Amino acid sequence: MSPPADTGPRANVLHAALVDLGVSYIVGIPDNASAVLFDLILRDPSMSLVPATREGEAFAIASGLWLGGRHPAVIIQNTGLLESGDSLRGTAVRMGVPLLCLIGYRGYAKMKEAHLDPHAGPPTRTTLTQSDVDSVALLTEPTLRAWGIPYHLYSTDDDAPLVAEAWAQAHREARPVALLLTHASS
Amino acid sequence: MLSKAQLLEPLARLRTNEVVVTTMSVVRPWAQYSDHDLDFASADSAMGHTADLALGIALAQPSRTVICLNGDGSMLMSLGTLATIVASGASNLVLFVIDNGTYEITGNQPVPGAGHLDFVAMAQAAGFQRTYGFDDPNAYEAALPGLLQGGGPVFACIRVELGTEGPISRSNAEEARYLKISLADWSQQFRTALLNDTPS
Repeated sequence: MSPPADTGPRANVLHAALVDLGVSYIVGIPDNASAVLFDLILRDPSMSLVPATREGEAFAIASGLWLGGRHPAVIIQNTGLLESGDSLRGTAVRMGVPLLCLIGYRGYAKMKEAHLDPHAGPPTRTTLTQSDVDSVALLTEPTLRAWGIPYHLYSTDDDAPLVAEAWAQAHREARPVALLLTHASS
Repeated sequence: MLSKAQLLEPLARLRTNEVVVTTMSVVRPWAQYSDHDLDFASADSAMGHTADLALGIALAQPSRTVICLNGDGSMLMSLGTLATIVASGASNLVLFVIDNGTYEITGNQPVPGAGHLDFVAMAQAAGFQRTYGFDDPNAYEAALPGLLQGGGPVFACIRVELGTEGPISRSNAEEARYLKISLADWSQQFRTALLNDTPS
């Protein structure tokens, strides 16, 4: 069971961290966990929101925005991350785009309740078909590692400094860096 | 139906400091007419993500025209981008779909729907206000100056002859200077050139 939203991070803290960094464009697709954050972005005149039809499209648009001199970030869910493979590889990674990616970690809580560890080796048929576990959670961290995308877990407001750290890492290393949002923001 | 020369030569003649984004089977042919700091080849990149990449550049640079020479196969891989472009309000994007009905790079295997797909109708249904379809070189050349002027986004589908372009590498064996270096290096050079250039 997912924790109630009011025990998770606050969207306004995440939003403020993005504003402080000068993020001017958000590209992506909302999920239930990021819905409040999207609402804040929609109401913020300092940010432009570019809704995408698929998550792979979001990485290509964000890469183009960077080519044009802007500072975009991508917000998607981990299911969409899996959809994005070739786009992420062929645009942001291949082009060396310093890109902050906020990725909703769907299934994180259930994975933890089932005592499954995404670092424990490749998922098996048993775990990938287990009805009380969302298989996308099992694949998220292994996929990011396989694709060479550095990532950090963002779980509470105390993790807010990670936004600036991931941003700095993305620019220092000229590559996408992901923050995995383990809980819904409220 | 147009040859690639009939498609690209008039465009290169009219181009000043617009960004031109190319992909697949027009990358090398375009380089025969253009050697410009603001040419960007979406090659050794992501399949089907050229129009959305060009959209990002257009949104970032609203006072500069961005011309995207996309393939029909590439467009089909990301048809939703037609809706995204219109919704974004990018009035400075000119999107060409080069329609030869095939995946030319891999040997001209037919794309799904080849011969009966109506890209212009799809663009109109997505909400493009200015759409064009050409299969006659004279009509295309006559309309091109007007097509490139005024508000957009603009969509144009051009029927072209089958060609024989093969896979594109990034190496010294390629003639285009932007294919001699990595995509990351050209991205950095392109970005620097774009930010240092004043739109006309």
